Amino acid sequence: MRAASLVVLVAIVLPLVLGQFWAYQLGLYALYAAAAVGLGLCWGQAGFLPLGQALFFGLAAYLSGLTFIAFANVPIVAVLLIPLFALVSALLAYVIGLLVFRRPGESGAYFSMIALALSLLGFQIATSWNSVTGGFNGLKGIPGLPGLDDISDVYYVSATALLVVLALAGWLFNAPIGVLWRALAQNERRLQLFGFDTNQLKSVAFSVSGLMAGVGGAIYAPQQGIVTPQVVGFGLSADLVIWAAVGGRGSLLGPVIGTLLVGSLTSQLRDSVPFWEVLMAVFFIVIVLVFPRGVAGLAEPLFRTIEGRRHNKPSVAAPGDPAARPPAKLALHDVSVRIGEVTILDQLSVDFDQAGIFCVIGPNGAGKTSMFNAVSGELAAASGRIAFGGSDVIGLPPNRVGGLGVARKLQIPSVFPDLTISDNLAIALWSSRATKLQLLNPRLRRWKSPMLDELQSRYAFLATGARKAAELSHGEQQILELAMALLTEPRVLLLDEPCAGLSPEETAAVMDLVRWAAKRLGGAIIIIEHDMSLVKELAEIVYVLHNGALLAKGSVVAIQADPKVRAVYVGGEK
Amino acid sequence: MDPLIVTQAINLLYAVSTLAVLALGLAVIFGLLGVLNIAHGEFIMIGAYCAYLIQSWNLPYLVAVTLTLAICGLLGWLVEWIIIRPLYRRPFDTLVATWGLSLLLRKGAEAMFGLGYRSVAIPIPGRVALLGTEYPIYRLVLIALSLAVVGGLVIWYGKSRTGSRIRAMVSNPELAQAQGISVRRLAAGTFIVGTCLAGLGGVMVAPLAPVQPFMGLDYVLRAFFALIVGGLGSASGLLSGSAVIGGFDSVISAATSATNGYFAVLVLAILFLWLRPRGIVARS
Repeated sequence: MRAASLVVLVAIVLPLVLGQFWAYQLGLYALYAAAAVGLGLCWGQAGFLPLGQALFFGLAAYLSGLTFIAFANVPIVAVLLIPLFALVSALLAYVIGLLVFRRPGESGAYFSMIALALSLLGFQIATSWNSVTGGFNGLKGIPGLPGLDDISDVYYVSATALLVVLALAGWLFNAPIGVLWRALAQNERRLQLFGFDTNQLKSVAFSVSGLMAGVGGAIYAPQQGIVTPQVVGFGLSADLVIWAAVGGRGSLLGPVIGTLLVGSLTSQLRDSVPFWEVLMAVFFIVIVLVFPRGVAGLAEPLFRTIEGRRHNKPSVAAPGDPAARPPAKLALHDVSVRIGEVTILDQLSVDFDQAGIFCVIGPNGAGKTSMFNAVSGELAAASGRIAFGGSDVIGLPPNRVGGLGVARKLQIPSVFPDLTISDNLAIALWSSRATKLQLLNPRLRRWKSPMLDELQSRYAFLATGARKAAELSHGEQQILELAMALLTEPRVLLLDEPCAGLSPEETAAVMDLVRWAAKRLGGAIIIIEHDMSLVKELAEIVYVLHNGALLAKGSVVAIQADPKVRAVYVGGEK
Repeated sequence: MDPLIVTQAINLLYAVSTLAVLALGLAVIFGLLGVLNIAHGEFIMIGAYCAYLIQSWNLPYLVAVTLTLAICGLLGWLVEWIIIRPLYRRPFDTLVATWGLSLLLRKGAEAMFGLGYRSVAIPIPGRVALLGTEYPIYRLVLIALSLAVVGGLVIWYGKSRTGSRIRAMVSNPELAQAQGISVRRLAAGTFIVGTCLAGLGGVMVAPLAPVQPFMGLDYVLRAFFALIVGGLGSASGLLSGSAVIGGFDSVISAATSATNGYFAVLVLAILFLWLRPRGIVARS
């Protein structure tokens, strides 16, 4: 709160100290900064880089300019419509996001290139659609905002808009959706398996950035009195990326600092310092390669001092009654999976039709992990049925399967390394309980469930909330991921070699936890395991997979005596 | 045959083959090294400015090829060494870094030559009678050259020792290294070949394109979409992608307007993203 008041104070005092000329400059750059904050949100939080962000700034600017001209006699109408222009930009960004992010896992080159191409297309339309946009020379003679007398009034309008944008961004960064954006940038697959629709999360982030750019653009038109194709085009898009990078894309104020600093310096020095823009480009590359956190990263200790110590607020009970989602049976019927010519699962039929701990064994390449991938929707089946609690889950995307109550623990610990332990755990709690709207409520970060309490009393490190997951040891990360899977209170739990790479003590801890979970959840826990000593201790029933089909099923003793199984394992397993 | 149809058909062939040669360098770097070089278009721009300089010095046009290869080779070597090498296997960071590089090269060109358009005279002027119509000789030469460059590179890659070393590096860098192949040098060499091919493409199209600092943007986008649509890693992918993107663009642009052609390319790119994300010719 203290930092926020300081920012507001600086915004009020700045023009008084710097004078009229700078007030005018800052009034313009505050609008660009609003767009840069949105770009920082996409890039620094959600992990994708929109290279054509000027499109949304420019679209709102043209809409606003046209409306101000049309309602020159009743300018108040145009003023009231300003939020609408920003919303149009937000909507366009949302639609583009949905279209491009439809491809699972897409947040790299393809998205960036399409965003860039769209901004060039926008520029082309703006220059060629003479009758509406005024062509290359742009829309001229846009009336100003009514009732503003001098330049500092104009500045205060921009500064207020920027502060509103910052408040929105600050709130979102702090809300569960902000945590999910950061999680998405680190480990999208994990988030999908927890049942989150990552395409929609990305589209919403992009849409918010469109909204922020739109706010800037909508005020730009009456402020500058002219809108030219440059505001949609490549130049501004590129500048926004530079400003966000130099200021620090990962922080809230970074893009603002970058815009005000670089933008206003550039407007002063472009003409007097030779090769200024070349120097800025070199500077940008150095920032990207060497100092990704930008200027705000340097200033972080200062921010922390201003903000002071955070007070721990009491936790809030998470809603949800595990009894409302009783354990469900999982059964695969004739499931085949092929990749190219290779048959990975060959009409596999298995059922896990009771509560308990089941182990799946089989030589390498038997299709064990592929079976899990087929169940969780990551591997498309060519034929067959996968019944889960009365519905067929085949063909559903991973997030839908996850939402139905299938939890997975992957073989290599898969957590969100740069998030704190408490945020990691909170994501698991939100997974089956939070509605989409609730993801906007920062209180959810303090959710607790009875199971979390029990887990934290078993493993003290789970209660050391502020540490990052990356700081944990391999064994602790395994426990953390397992704990996260349990916190979703799944109806069936799939564990892929949960003890791989663990010391004997850690292995004992995990096995303990698995047994506890079996009692606590009351459903099926299916474990892929190579280590027969673990299988002997844990398994009620053992399933043997071979060449993508079920070879045998039975008690540990029966399986060990089975001649078919022995034949497959000759000379192999300990 | 109707002369107009013949002209349009050759125009189409011209659009497709030049797009293929302009995308070639990007295909080499993206397909083999997994690095999307957004500054690819700026290397094309450098080639075009080399052609402009050579003409303004009244030297024979072919000298521009030497100059371009020298400049793009040197720049490619520096860029691979300073920017790309630390970022292999970090595709998102390479995206940002090469985007910064494209900005740097563009601003550099702007500082040296200004924003204005430069024109390069056509080195082989004149038209030739062909199937009942007349067609500019230089465009025909370009079509032949483009196909020759693409074909030559593909044959070299398939037959030569270096080609097989590159294939080894692409499929398993560690194993290739263990076999005594210097992956670092080979990757650097591959990158340089990519930038040189871009420059070469620039020299080729310079007489028919407005030469200015921003010209590369358009090329890199079209080349990128052609690669995505066609599929990475094969000549058939490059050619089919160029045919789809170049073909649609030129047909729709000719029939309606350039804006619509551009829009069509984008719609196609998004459709392919959903339906065939690995391209027409998917690598196994």
